[in-house]
Amino acid sequence: MDLLTLRNTYLQQHIMLCFNGPISRSLIEEIGHALRNYLNNQSAAPSAAMDVFAVYIEMTQNIRHYATRREYGEEDATATIAVARDSEGRYQVSAGNLVEDADGQRLVAAVESLAPLDAAALKRAYKQQLRRPRDESADSGAGLGLIDMARKSTRPLVASLQPLSSGQSFFSLTATI
Amino acid sequence: MNQDLNLAGSVSTPAIQSDWQAGRLCMQGDSYPENSYELFGPVIGWVEAYLAQESRPLELCLELVYLNTSSVKVMMDIFDLLEEAYQGGRRVEVVWHYDARNDRIAELAEEFKEDCSYPFVIRAMEVAP
Repeated sequence: MDLLTLRNTYLQQHIMLCFNGPISRSLIEEIGHALRNYLNNQSAAPSAAMDVFAVYIEMTQNIRHYATRREYGEEDATATIAVARDSEGRYQVSAGNLVEDADGQRLVAAVESLAPLDAAALKRAYKQQLRRPRDESADSGAGLGLIDMARKSTRPLVASLQPLSSGQSFFSLTATI
Repeated sequence: MNQDLNLAGSVSTPAIQSDWQAGRLCMQGDSYPENSYELFGPVIGWVEAYLAQESRPLELCLELVYLNTSSVKVMMDIFDLLEEAYQGGRRVEVVWHYDARNDRIAELAEEFKEDCSYPFVIRAMEVAP
């Protein structure tokens, strides 16, 4: 295994923490714990540390809920998660997962629709979504998570969708804090 | 008779205690379960039962630190139950203590407060470093 190439890739992209594989509830907690410790040791501002953690939780729980809803097997219910720092010291939280292409396109459109909104408009969208009746089939505040991440980010969320030969697509989302 | 709740917290779920006699419900810690309605179902049930069966005041004492969006939705449902009771002439109150170093939780509490007309106190606690 070429760990050195892996290591160099991480270093080049300033990745502080990375995970790839099947994501369980307990793994989300464990990685979240490691992330919090890391941010504390970095003396990150408490509010930034909180925002990074919150975005990480929303992203990974969205992936878990999606895999459950789509009844994906363990191999498809995997997540790729990375937390990095950009050249200006901002934190970047990214997560990617396999999705059905149509779902991915809807997600990208949802993310793009949030991009032009300012803080006040995002707050209104958040409160509106919060007041929307809970869909009995969905066991989470889906939709709310994206708006919440956008509110915690200092820049618009960036989403991308890459088609795979399997017919599915790889959806990835990055939040900058 | 209604059973009081006494749930120990975990990494992702808050500690929860209810006291029917005292008319008080308290929660402390982080709240980010994957399915918040599963966790908070009994809490909502307790609040509904207390408000329906008693006429005494209800106090919510919170020391919640972080809430995922699914927990935020449940908390809003609980605050809405209190609002309805308050509109019906009931005395209800929320007191939310937070770590003074963590503005984010104060901001979240403020947003909840905007939608409530009953007494909603948000108080910073000085925590030893």
